Amino acid sequence: MQRSTEHDHPADAHDHPAAPVVDEVSEFEVLEIAVRELAIEKGLFTADDHRKFAEWGEQIGPTGGARLVAKAWTDPAFKARAIADGVAACREIGIDWGEPTGWGTPSDYMELQVLEDTPALHHVIVCTLCSCYPRPLLGHSPYWYRSPNYRRRIVRWPRQVLAEFGLILPPEVEIRVEDSNQKGRFMVLPVRPAGTEGWTEAQLAEIVTRDCMIGVALPRPGTTADETPVAKARHPVPEVHH
Amino acid sequence: MKSESGLSPSATEGSGVNLSPVPLLEAVRNEGKTWAELAPRCGVTNPDPPWKVTLEATCQCLAVSGALPWLQRRRAEDRLGETLYSATPAPEQQVLALAHTMLSRGLVSEEDLARRMNTVRSRLEAS
Repeated sequence: MQRSTEHDHPADAHDHPAAPVVDEVSEFEVLEIAVRELAIEKGLFTADDHRKFAEWGEQIGPTGGARLVAKAWTDPAFKARAIADGVAACREIGIDWGEPTGWGTPSDYMELQVLEDTPALHHVIVCTLCSCYPRPLLGHSPYWYRSPNYRRRIVRWPRQVLAEFGLILPPEVEIRVEDSNQKGRFMVLPVRPAGTEGWTEAQLAEIVTRDCMIGVALPRPGTTADETPVAKARHPVPEVHH
Repeated sequence: MKSESGLSPSATEGSGVNLSPVPLLEAVRNEGKTWAELAPRCGVTNPDPPWKVTLEATCQCLAVSGALPWLQRRRAEDRLGETLYSATPAPEQQVLALAHTMLSRGLVSEEDLARRMNTVRSRLEAS
């Protein structure tokens, strides 16, 4: 069945072609809406509750993961606990993978393995099967993470693919690619970079970006998630003075 | 001994959910087009259907309200995903499992669900 449009725009309403959309209603979509509406009608929850959870679920970012890494860098005992039991360590920083409230999670998945990098070993994560991702810690996965290109190539040519992200690792550094499975999730605990001695957890968390915890980038002092990227000219044109 | 659903305990196999096929959901499973089929045909590259977010929010709301606790839903989803709906990909498998579990626990009836699906379908197709 085809989805009808609410109204038709005149052909010249936009100066660019419309993005492709799926205009066919599937029975799965119908089922999802029907279940939700019945639950609301029966008082199991309200439409406003649902809207809030949907909005919140789409906004989770990687700050939880950054806090976990920063705490692991400054607290060796916590790091050991995080490596031994990632889900339990998450609870220590207020992220409960089993409780979908507050700093909780929209994830169904209750296993987390924290992969510790060393100067000689670098981890990178992928889900070759679909798009499994540690969402309670990192939020929604980036588009490229879900792309067949990344999923297929990172396991075959990890060093080359990392180089495409700008991460060129010396040949003596071993690279391990961890593939998520149905109920297990991974995140990378990068090596704490030089130049961060004496920093607080909050300062450290600022430089732990999403890509560092996927493993396609390394944390660096001065590079933060909220930094506005600026492409600096390598060979600036000399200023001409008249 | 009978469970609340009137089925023998063996039908639930310890997951708390009746693993017998539900005709309404079997029809969805057999006739429904998955996002993996629809999206490439339309040139859409987003790997997830738009309704995945609302489905997850529904699961969260049910958990928070206590109507369908988190781990119980997960266990039921696991069992259904390994059995009845093993050939259906995510997130279509998840919505089938959620509906199946809600039916199994008596949170909604098959008749109500069928009726509501007809209403929703008509609404989405209306011109």
